[in-house]
Amino acid sequence: MEDKTGKVITGAEILLESLMNQGVDTVFGYPGGQIIPVYDKLYDYRDDLRHILVRHEQGAIHAAQGYARVKGTPGTVIVTSGPGATNVITGVADALIDSTPVVVIAGQVPNAALGTDAFQETDLIGLTTPITKWSHQIRRAEDIAWAVARAFYIAGTGRPGPVVLDLTKDAQVGMAEYQPVKCNFIRSYVEVPKPSAEAIDEAVKMIDAAEKPFVVYGQGITISGAEKALDAFLEKGDIPAGSTLLGLSALDSDNPHYVGMVGMHGNLTPNVMTQECDLLIAVGMRFDDRVTGTVNTYAKQAKIIHIDIDASEIGKNVPVDLGLLGDAREVLEALTAKIKTRKGRGWQMERIMCDAVEKHKVIDPEIHPEEGEINPGEVIAAVAEACKGEAIVVTDVGQNQMLAARYSRFKEGRSMITSGGLGTMGFGLPAAIGAKIAAPQRKVCLFVGDGGIQMTVQELGTILQEGTGVKIVLLNNNWLGNVRQWQELFFHERYSATRMVNPDFSMIAEAYGIGCATVEERSQLQEGIDRMLADDRPFILNVHVREESMVFPMVPPGKSVDQIMLNSKDWFDYGN
Amino acid sequence: METEKLYEITVYTENQVGLLSSIAGIFTRRSLNIEKLLVYPSRIEGIHKFKIQTRTDETHVRAVVLQIEKKVDVIKAYYYIDEEHSAQEVSAVKDFLAERETERNNNNK
Repeated sequence: MEDKTGKVITGAEILLESLMNQGVDTVFGYPGGQIIPVYDKLYDYRDDLRHILVRHEQGAIHAAQGYARVKGTPGTVIVTSGPGATNVITGVADALIDSTPVVVIAGQVPNAALGTDAFQETDLIGLTTPITKWSHQIRRAEDIAWAVARAFYIAGTGRPGPVVLDLTKDAQVGMAEYQPVKCNFIRSYVEVPKPSAEAIDEAVKMIDAAEKPFVVYGQGITISGAEKALDAFLEKGDIPAGSTLLGLSALDSDNPHYVGMVGMHGNLTPNVMTQECDLLIAVGMRFDDRVTGTVNTYAKQAKIIHIDIDASEIGKNVPVDLGLLGDAREVLEALTAKIKTRKGRGWQMERIMCDAVEKHKVIDPEIHPEEGEINPGEVIAAVAEACKGEAIVVTDVGQNQMLAARYSRFKEGRSMITSGGLGTMGFGLPAAIGAKIAAPQRKVCLFVGDGGIQMTVQELGTILQEGTGVKIVLLNNNWLGNVRQWQELFFHERYSATRMVNPDFSMIAEAYGIGCATVEERSQLQEGIDRMLADDRPFILNVHVREESMVFPMVPPGKSVDQIMLNSKDWFDYGN
Repeated sequence: METEKLYEITVYTENQVGLLSSIAGIFTRRSLNIEKLLVYPSRIEGIHKFKIQTRTDETHVRAVVLQIEKKVDVIKAYYYIDEEHSAQEVSAVKDFLAERETERNNNNK
């Protein structure tokens, strides 16, 4: 394309030039009345800017989230005003709480119509201010380049998050001279705070003095590219580490210091270590209530160091002894340089005992059952085995998500894409599309339930149109399984509105031209997985799993993380 | 239980549209009533100042102030239980802005 720098062009063209200036080559979107001028110009840019036409705007934002989480750079969404814009709101809220960089560009009515309840007008800035890092209306073509540069800078730096740009019709059709803008500084916005040398020294002193330190890490490791720095820190200090849901894949599943996932459906060892350590070092995580159980007893015996880039997270949920503000990689490298080399921390007892109990009481019955219906966990374990831990795992929300987190294996970072904070059912299918588009050379396996897939099932149309080779493992139990589990355990088996009467998913697959195998017997499972993974085309593996399956272990709500249900009858209580 | 007190929060911001509702939203989300609100140009040129009074405990006021300061166009936020603060605050904000100016220049080198 010709260089537009210095030329007087329309705002719509300035927008597309500005996106390309940010390195954007893929956008997820859906056209509509007040964004037609942008789509009109997009026609001229179709060789440089790939536009993925989704089937619903919620699909666009979740696909952009999946794309961003795999790539580490902002995903871009273009939608129209009014309903187009309100349809992305769930994803925007999801991106904020899960620190996912996305930039949403929404059309808006002409300047003169603002505030008049015009057709497809909505107060998008008002609606999205509480759920974005920045939300801004652009009314003039000459402001577009500045706003786009600022949007990508804010979305992609510091603790990443969503930015919304509300682009009025006047801004799109107005003319202005185009000058490329770069933004790498906003004086009121401290992108990466630095911890003081005294705070680092204090942390080093606490780590060296600790007998039984324990690390809990979250997505901050992935975002700051601290995977190697974390490994080096754990190695030098001989410290075991547990991951949050969003931290998964930052460490290799076989890393000798990795002891599993913490939290409600996490592994026994890291939950017990949380309650047995004398120093808890939390890195790039935010003490979500699904991680802590009741905060009244959470790691009360331990001193706590919290390393995070976001000052408002330090002490928000759990009081800490020392907060270290900064980038996870920089802080971990600074600490590793100064801490003493240690060997033989006395953690073997806890690890051996907890792992043995979990294997015997939970894992073996789930993934190696001798008879009966297929367990969802054994499907995930079999897929993980077949993929050798090399696939990008995308999940929906609920039992499929917790089991995928528990039984998947990871060799590479940025390989676990899931909606953690908001817990958005319907996230999985479009996020998997975005993940596959971001990493076409990798296998992308989606684990989704029969409830969640139907929340955004229309995106099978996007797969059809784009030929996106997503492998969809449908754990089909004809229930909203996670709510059903809570109803069984805590609501006297009153199954209110959780039974699903489902369509024949193989016919849906056929209608969309997507390959499908239905697995009803254990003997068909391996063949189905092999067929699914044989090529790079989209595929639905429709597995009829045990209807009453439950996810264990479970720290029930209100309990301490070492008070754990192993199944419906047996409890694990490490202290007693 | 921590005791509730009347806290005064001061916020220094860039002059950007939408900040008032953005800041007010942080109070709404925690069901905190704003007892008094003043928004006016501060003694530093181009910088706006918010004075907000709210009744809450220290844990909450601290969290609220940090969440206010997290907003991209907010420069600094403080909280007090007395009113003897204005002079130090202005010089602290000026120092911060001078520091940021140096960083901006370093960035552009």
